[in-house]
Amino acid sequence: MNPTSDLGSEPDDFDPHELEPGDFRDEVYSFEFWFQAVDGYLRDRPYGHSVPGREVTLEPSRREALITTLCNYCVGETAALEGASGMIEFAPNRHAKIFLATQVVDEARHLEVFLHRLADLGVEDPEAEIVARANPSLVRFKERLLEFVAGRDWDAAVFAQNVVLETMENTAFRAHETTADPVTAEVLDGVIKDERRHLGFGENDLGARLMREPGVRSRLTEIRAELDPLVLGTFEAAMGDLGADTARREALGREYLTAIERLGLA
Amino acid sequence: MSDFLNAYSIQRWLELCPQGYLEDTVYGHGATEHEPEPLVEDETLREEAIRSTVQLVVGERAALAASSGLVNAAPDYPSKRFLATQTLDEARHVEIFTQRLYDLGVKKDDLESTIDHFANPNLVKFAEVLLEKVDNKDFVAGVVGQNIVLEGMAFTVFEMMEAGNRQANPKFAHTLAGTIADERRHVGFGENRIGSLIKQYPEKKPEIEQMQKEMAYHMLNTFSSSFRQGSAAMDAAQSMAAQSDGAGEGAEWQGVNMATAGPEELQGALENTVINEFKTRLARIGLEYQAPVMS
Repeated sequence: MNPTSDLGSEPDDFDPHELEPGDFRDEVYSFEFWFQAVDGYLRDRPYGHSVPGREVTLEPSRREALITTLCNYCVGETAALEGASGMIEFAPNRHAKIFLATQVVDEARHLEVFLHRLADLGVEDPEAEIVARANPSLVRFKERLLEFVAGRDWDAAVFAQNVVLETMENTAFRAHETTADPVTAEVLDGVIKDERRHLGFGENDLGARLMREPGVRSRLTEIRAELDPLVLGTFEAAMGDLGADTARREALGREYLTAIERLGLA
Repeated sequence: MSDFLNAYSIQRWLELCPQGYLEDTVYGHGATEHEPEPLVEDETLREEAIRSTVQLVVGERAALAASSGLVNAAPDYPSKRFLATQTLDEARHVEIFTQRLYDLGVKKDDLESTIDHFANPNLVKFAEVLLEKVDNKDFVAGVVGQNIVLEGMAFTVFEMMEAGNRQANPKFAHTLAGTIADERRHVGFGENRIGSLIKQYPEKKPEIEQMQKEMAYHMLNTFSSSFRQGSAAMDAAQSMAAQSDGAGEGAEWQGVNMATAGPEELQGALENTVINEFKTRLARIGLEYQAPVMS
């Protein structure tokens, strides 16, 4: 599959950002583009990793902490899977529907690779373990997101899902990747690449919306004020599980807040 | 149940579909393949190709809405993951059939008005019956409607169209072949997953059978009006196929010669094939086919 073939340009020279807005959407929010994007980093990486022999035996306490962390990643990915799939029906156009369909399969893959990693670590009943170890702040965040989706509230759902949740995950995964065992680190690397695409969609969609209707900003600011404590509470618990010191926890919170403020929602 | 669902993982889907039979395709066909010139140049043929492709887009949009809507209603993670792959399959189908409309000369700004103009109202009603179940988060009825009835119909229609286009329009035949491979997987999931749920909730049978009956009614009306509208174009298409390279005896589908069959003969073969498929697949999940009363 080669999305650039009809554009008459060499793939190496191709930059979708040089396209007109309509052509950009045709090109980037498509199955063809999605497959080009993921194929490079998923081929030959069954369940997200390609490192046979690099598996290390973890200390019991570290293994226990990793299980809790992965269980919470599963909560986040399930929220994203259910959020993205539910948004397809009320997405405002065909491009958004097709992009969200690619996101649905990405989120389902993330859920699958994290469940697979839990099985690697010897967890026999992951679904029960996820319920037992789920962070209350993250569970509340998931409930709130799915309320926006059930209410067919596009602006709030895109903001909560493709900006706040994706930024939270991107920040947490990148921090974890630096200290993780080799297999978990490679799994996270593939997930992070997907999250960047999802975040890009959210920023583009809401950025354009805010330019057209500046009044939306105050509503999103209110939603942000409601969601920030849930995100920061989730970070606090996650960093505690990973044994991060206070300075690292605060840095992570700041990183998240800076990313969100890029949309001008201070 | 979990062993069977392991065969429907994202990993398996990646290896089988995008990294398998879709490898090296562009919008589902070979990179150098194009719509045949006589089809694009003859206004009757082109309009009929647009009309029939619009029905595919309408059906695939319904399938996209249904499969994505069922993710939240699925009772377990493996079913959610399978429905995620189906969601992207259906989005791909929307994309490739929309692309075919562009290839046939529909302008991007005219896409929605073209779809509104040509969409068969019976097919729209067929989709509405299904989407009502999905909106109510009725997982069992939704999967029967989507993966047995809608996919069973689509699978047979695509097979017929693929056979009819194999010689005259290899580009479109190849596009259809990829969707047939996807639909086969979707139908398989429906049969395997729902059989156990029907046993678990036998009280749902009458409601599901009523839904199937309504969907079959609208489906048969769709076929009837489509063959009535397309009969003139069918003559022209058969004459084009007879002149194309490699034409000879004509492709056979369900014992019908696609190059010489009349609209009534083809409609009869399509209806019989779809209904027999329904009977077989519904019986496998413990349901009995309900024949609609046609006016």
